Formats: sequence, C-alpha cells, structure tokens
Amino acid sequence: MNQNLLTVSTSPHILGRTTVRSMYLEYMIALAPALLMGLYYFGAPALITVLLAVASAAVSDFIVSFITKKPSTLSNLHIICLGLVLGQILPPGAPWWLPVVGGALTVFLGIGIFGGIGYYPMNPVLVAWVALAISWPEAMNSFLDPLPLGTEGDWAEAETPLMQLKGDIGTLQAFELGVLWLGKVPGAIGATSSWALLAGGVYLIIRRIIPWQIPIGALLGAVGMALLAAYTDPAIEELGLEGFAAHMDVAWFHLGTGGLLIAAFFVGPEPVSSPVTPWGTLLFGVGIGLMAIIVRTWGGLVDGAFYGVLLMNAATPLLDRIRPRVIGKVVNGA
Amino acid sequence: MKLSNWFKGISLPRPPAAAPPVGLPAPEKVYLPLRQHRGAVAEPKVEPGQRVALGQVVGASEEFESAAVQATVSGVVEAIVDTVDPAGEKVPTVVIQNDGADAWADELAGAAILEDPAAVKATRPSHLLRRLREAGLVRAQVQGRPLHVDLSPPMAPQSYLYMTGIPVVRPIDTLIIRAVDVDPPVCPNQSCMGEASQDLAVGVAALARISGAKRVILALPSGVDAAGIAAIAAQYEWEVASVSQRAYPFASDNLLVQSLTGREVHTPYGEPRDVGVLLEPLISALDVGRVLSSGRPVIDRVFSVAGEVKNPQTFRVRLGTPISQVLDAAGGGPSRPGKIIVGGPMMGLAIFDPATPVTRETVGVFVQSAASVVAYADHPCIHCGRCVAVCPVNLIPSDLGKLCEFRMYEDAAEMNLMNCIECGCCAYVCPARRPMVHFLRHGKSEVLAGRME
Repeated sequence: MNQNLLTVSTSPHILGRTTVRSMYLEYMIALAPALLMGLYYFGAPALITVLLAVASAAVSDFIVSFITKKPSTLSNLHIICLGLVLGQILPPGAPWWLPVVGGALTVFLGIGIFGGIGYYPMNPVLVAWVALAISWPEAMNSFLDPLPLGTEGDWAEAETPLMQLKGDIGTLQAFELGVLWLGKVPGAIGATSSWALLAGGVYLIIRRIIPWQIPIGALLGAVGMALLAAYTDPAIEELGLEGFAAHMDVAWFHLGTGGLLIAAFFVGPEPVSSPVTPWGTLLFGVGIGLMAIIVRTWGGLVDGAFYGVLLMNAATPLLDRIRPRVIGKVVNGA
Repeated sequence: MKLSNWFKGISLPRPPAAAPPVGLPAPEKVYLPLRQHRGAVAEPKVEPGQRVALGQVVGASEEFESAAVQATVSGVVEAIVDTVDPAGEKVPTVVIQNDGADAWADELAGAAILEDPAAVKATRPSHLLRRLREAGLVRAQVQGRPLHVDLSPPMAPQSYLYMTGIPVVRPIDTLIIRAVDVDPPVCPNQSCMGEASQDLAVGVAALARISGAKRVILALPSGVDAAGIAAIAAQYEWEVASVSQRAYPFASDNLLVQSLTGREVHTPYGEPRDVGVLLEPLISALDVGRVLSSGRPVIDRVFSVAGEVKNPQTFRVRLGTPISQVLDAAGGGPSRPGKIIVGGPMMGLAIFDPATPVTRETVGVFVQSAASVVAYADHPCIHCGRCVAVCPVNLIPSDLGKLCEFRMYEDAAEMNLMNCIECGCCAYVCPARRPMVHFLRHGKSEVLAGRME
C-alpha cells in the first residue's frame, strides 16, 4: 500500500490551539489567585474543603463513566475545574462531608443525568450549592474569621458582611473598602478576595475564554441596582448618605462582598449553561447583577448572586434567541 | 477596519514578504483540462497526434459560461484523458507533448495591440470583451467564472432581487482591484505587486471601460512595501485602500466590498455586481493587461507554494503543469506528505492527486506534512460561544452545527444557514474541535437537495 497517500477533507486545514482542556486549564489559572488568597486567610480547613470537593467530583465522574459505559472525560479538566469552583464557594470550616456530598451532587445531579459536558441546562456547581444550602443551612452558613498564615490563634466562627447586613443596614458603612476588597473578612474560601477575582477575570477576558459581556453586564447591573437601592430604599436613606460618591460606596460594598464577583467572572460565564449571542450574554450578566442586589437589599436570603446565575441559566435558551442581524441577509421589502 | 469587526474573524500570522514570481521552464507535458472555471466544459478542437502551436485553441464551447482553452506549449497532442479538478470532478483533459520550440500560432499575428490606457479608452467595450472571451480569461480563484461572464451586464435583475421587491440592476460604478490575498500565506496577488506596470494600467482601464466603472479602488495589503504600485495608482488617479491581511476573512469578496464601499452584498445568491461593484484580483487584472498589450492569450499562471516545502515561493508556471512538478521546483514537499491544498489553509480544497494540473482557477497550494494534518473530534458542542464571537456574518454557528449534525436541515436554514460564507473561523476557534464547516456545508447541500424535490 502506498504510504504517501494524501489526506482529503473539508477546510479549514489549520486550527487554533484552544482545546477544551486548555480552556479549563486557563480557567483554573485564573482561579488560582483567589484560591491562594483563600488558603492564605483560612489555612488548613479551607485546603481540606477544596481538596475534598475536587476529589469527590473526580471519583463521582469515574462512577458516572462506569455506569454509562463511556470513557472517562477527566483528562479534559472540566470536572476538576468545576470541583475547584465548588470548593471555592463553600465556607472554609465546613464539615468534611459537605464538600464530598457537594462534589457528588455536582457530577451526578448537575452533569451526569443530563448526559455530560455540553448538555446540562444549569450550572452544575450551583445545582450542588443550592442543594447543600437548602439541605444543611447551618453548615453552609458557618463561616470562619480569617486567620492569615503565620498568625497564632484559634478558628472562631464569624458572620460574613452580608449576613451582618441582613441584621443591620449600617453594615454598609462599617467596613473599610480596602479591607473588604483585600478579602480579610469572613466568607467563602475563594470568594472574599475581590481584587484576586478581578485579576483572574480580566485574564479570562483578555484570553477570550469568557465573553466580556457577562462580567461587564453583571457589574453594570449590580452597580446600577445598588445605586437605585441607595437612592430609593428608606432604610438606606436613614444612614444619611449625601452625594453620589457616598451612594457609590454602597455599590463598592456590594461589589466587594459575597459571591458577586466570582459569579460574574467564573460561575456565570461557565460555557455550557450561559448564552452565546452578544446581547444575550450582556442581558445574562445584567440579570445576575440585578438579582444579587435585589436579594441582598430586599430579599429573605443572604446573597442573590448565585440564585441570579441559576435564574439566568433558565433564561439562556430565551436569551439565545436575541440574534444579531445576519450580514448579507435579504430583508423583505428593504 | 470597523470597530464592530474588531472581535470578529481571526488573526492569522503575518505572511512573509512575498518575492516576485520566479519563472519555471515549460514542462515535458502539459495537461489542459477543458474546464478551468465554473460553467460548461469546452469541446476539444484537436485530435490525438495533431501538431499544435503555442496559443492555438485546443478547446472551445458555444456556451456563454465557458472559456476557450489554448495550448500552453507547442508540440503534439498525445491524448485526451480524464483528470480530476480541485473540486473533485472529472474533466476531459488535452495532454500535449512539448517539442520545446515555443512557436506561437500564426493566427495570433494579426491581433490588435493596445499598449496604453488611452488606446483602451478609445476602443469599444464590446471589442474588448470579445478579446477577453477569445483569450479565455478566468477570474483567478477556484470555481472562478470566465472573466467575460463576470464583466457582462446581467440581462435582467437576478431572481432573488425580484423576490425581495428590489428589481433594480444597479449599474457598476466602482471597480475594486484586490492586491490583498484572502487566505495567507498563499500570496500570489501580493507577490505580483512588484510586476505591476503598464500592463496593470491597461488591464484596469479595460475592466473599467467594459464595466463602466468610474471609480477605481486598489486594495493593498497593509504593512507591505507597495511604493511601485502606489505610484501607478497615483498616476491614473485610483483610490488606494490599505487592508490588513492578517484579519481573516475580511479580505474576501463580499466583506471587502462592504468595508471599502459600505455596500452590503446579499448572500447567498448575490454578488458584488448587484450592488454596483466589480471586484477582480490583481492577477486577473494583470492578465487582462497582458492579453490586450501583447495580442496573445495568457499561457502561464502565477502560482504560490506555501507551507511545508523547502523554499516556499511564488512561481510563474505554464498552465497545465502538474502541481507535483511545481512542488519539486520549490524544493520538494515533506517526506511524508499529508495534504496538498489548492487555495489556502483556511478555505482551500485538499486534492488527492499531486499530478493535478495548474489551471486558470488555481492560484497556489498550501502543503502540509502528515504530522501537521489536523484531526477533528466527535465532541459535543460545549456552547462556549467563541464561534459566535468570531463569525464575520453574525451567524450562530454553534446552533447551526448542532442542527446540521442532527439532520434538522430546514430548521438550520431558517436560522440563516444559507448565509454562511464558509470562511472556517468557527472551526478554527472551536475548543471542542468540531468540524463546523463540514456540518454547515453538508447542511447546505441537503437543504438545496430538499428544495429541488
């Protein structure tokens, strides 16, 4: 047989370097700063939680691939990355079974029953997170006071800024914005260091791993809604905020706390469950921002960012119908 | 470049500066397919054993959409066999054994010679058009149409215009000469820029005279030394536009027309002519000039060899030379060849026979070794939206790909499948390595087949 036969196929004959694996690898690179900051503040309990979440997701994936008789897709890092995200949005001092159950729920309930990567309608991490939050509210709401690496002391339970906000509207002014953005406050492992999340998110946008519309939309929506709340909510008016700068501080507080930034940059733009069209992605982002602030200001729950993502996930097929005008398409009567 | 196009398309590496074409000696045998364009196959006008002179017509047809084929060497017709063209169809082919004499045919001696643009302007358009038709010129691209078809005004507006209620034939007022190559690193147009001289002036004058264009735009690649051609443009008052050759696919016909004139060409049935623009590649304009100023048909073709060959460069080869011989002149291909692609890496057609001849519709090849042939994957779409971001015509390739994969062709057609220009950007950026262009092409052919019934 002739060894020099030529290959014939359709164009294009060259491809870009991005693969599913490299995409999730870059996701993890972008997540790293926030994760490292979380480990720095919350030490061993955080490390154990994250590792358990990742390991549980990986083992669950093996089980799923065994049951469905499909080759394991662990090598494309998709499951690992989702496990990592799950670990980052769990409280640091969680009991050991919480991340284990969470990782299993991510893979079984979030991905497996829908048929794997590309097919699930909702962000699997949030499916697991919501299941945990509904089933074990106490465990999911017990946060630790940050204890940076090297400082002596015992872990102490503490309330996150947003939990304090529920009880006392004055919390809006109780925190130095610098401390808040640095992340030295009680909170989920990888969600407190706002600057690290921002850096990772900007990296993802520059590398074109995520569409820029989702985070920008989320930030715009959150800032807009926070300003609206600051101007109209009587409870906030009692604080006696004067001028735009003071009102903007409310918005900065909201951006720097809770799950908003990790939802805007990492959880929301998760490729499978987010929309693809330019305007669809922008509205998706705006919806996340609005939901986050609405729930925080007027809702019964502590934070609305993740619920916002889930709600917008449900709207994704609708948002994908907002298609741009096709260039060259003949419009009747034009 | 428009701001809204910033994120669209892909940016390819800048191709190396193209050297002027190097002449190749005439081969031992030439293979002249009797169809080197879109349209009808020509009738053979010679028989095996007959002596033919250079430029003698060996195939011609009465059909309008056809081009005459001339002998590109003098010698003896050996046989008429079937070869396969780049698109994969069998075409009867005249094989001529070269006698090395390069004697021009006698009947060409009396042809009128138009050596400068002023003489062209004094000639009747119908006469010029007949000259081009006799010379059998073809627009230099795969499935290019004969030049006289490109230039002839349509008898009536195209039917798609009627369907949309705009039954107007817009007269051609703009001529765009494209010196940018759509699909780098195959850069025949760019490498011809240095050769442009009086021939270009004659060619452009003829194209403008026939089409009636008042405005001539020369689209030059940016970042390339084009002083010579710019001087000619200044002399004849052509507009010069600088077009990036890295921003693929914005140098392709319809998108170039849109960015240079602001007129939107309708897809899939429209063409630049419908919006009053005639767009020709630089090599075609040069060919027109050479036909008119020499009185002889063009017997060679500028042919770029790029990719994994020893010395990638541009050649001037006789029409009918097997591509394998051109590759040998470029230092030979890789030891384990993978693909030979007529056209460029993004939109070219992979051929299976290296002996496929160089024809009027081929402008270059891109060679890949077996190791660098890319593999597509059977991976589900992960809905990341990168294809949507890059699609230059604002389609949703991810959805179209899924619909075509699951045989919902008419649903795909409703989502504007037919407006796809098959540029391949979606497949290029797809992290799941889905064969997007394959899906969409298959879907298109199924839609067309379904509508025929």
